[in-house]
Amino acid sequence: MNTSFDLLFEIGWRFASLSLLAIGGINALLPEFHRVVVDVEGWMTSAEFADLFALAQLAPGPNAMVVSLLGWKVAGIPGAFVATIAACGPSSLVSYFAMRALERMRKGALRVVLQRALAPVAIGLVLASGYTLAKAADRSIGALALTVCGAAAIAATRVNPIWVLAAAALAGVAGIA
Amino acid sequence: MLVEERAWLTDREFAELIGMCQVLPGPNVVNLSVMLGARWQGPVGSLLALTGILFVPVIAVLILATFYASVAHTPIAGSAIAGASAAAAGLIIGTAIRLTIGSRPPMRSLLLAAAVFLAVGVAQAPLLWVLAVAVPLAIAVEWRASQ
Repeated sequence: MNTSFDLLFEIGWRFASLSLLAIGGINALLPEFHRVVVDVEGWMTSAEFADLFALAQLAPGPNAMVVSLLGWKVAGIPGAFVATIAACGPSSLVSYFAMRALERMRKGALRVVLQRALAPVAIGLVLASGYTLAKAADRSIGALALTVCGAAAIAATRVNPIWVLAAAALAGVAGIA
Repeated sequence: MLVEERAWLTDREFAELIGMCQVLPGPNVVNLSVMLGARWQGPVGSLLALTGILFVPVIAVLILATFYASVAHTPIAGSAIAGASAAAAGLIIGTAIRLTIGSRPPMRSLLLAAAVFLAVGVAQAPLLWVLAVAVPLAIAVEWRASQ
């Protein structure tokens, strides 16, 4: 693995420049991360991207951990830390400074407008993330069926996602994916 | 945990902070910890909360990834991760469905969500350009609707 300073810098500015576009959280950014790390930079294959996402879901912690794994894949442990700080830093700074302004407009019409305007954008982005991951992960009819089952389980029940992933991993071992 | 175990916040304060996180960019859990840290201890509190919410999970995920890298070449690990990654894609699609059902959006919001999905997911347009069009448009439409 190449852990040169240039590479770390590249990861840092790539991820930092996306930080403020994460409307609806990190899961909204997956198509853009995929576009950058697979299509533009060629740091990994589409299937490796989907595998890293699944690994991040299996680990405890915020779903931002997928960013750490993308950085790790490109530049090892330093890459993981640079990617995490770059992806979370700018948005955290904005949160810090926006908090007081937002508290002032707690009951204001503007905040209701902002929430109503951004909610559908976030839904569209999250759906695009799911579609991007499905395209990367589903290399067989069995895998596609697992994607459909996973979606149904989350949409219709309150089951903990970790059990869905564990069941799907077993199904994979059984030869379904 | 914050509300029930420690009573550091009321339910209502918690709901309000979550609402704020939803209009801010970035990981919601991370933003929430920045805000809580700031509320109690200022900038130092934010920095500590940020370290707390990120550092341990990063270490945990790196241990998992290192373990995975050491077994990745075996067929059984390859099949397991193939199954898990197929289902993980489903989890995200399920989340989008759940968000849509939960918010019972009007037709204009459904159209906007569909347009954003097609542009970013299917056409793979750069996110910055899509947001530069979609966000001001959505705010303008909702502002007019609220008048």
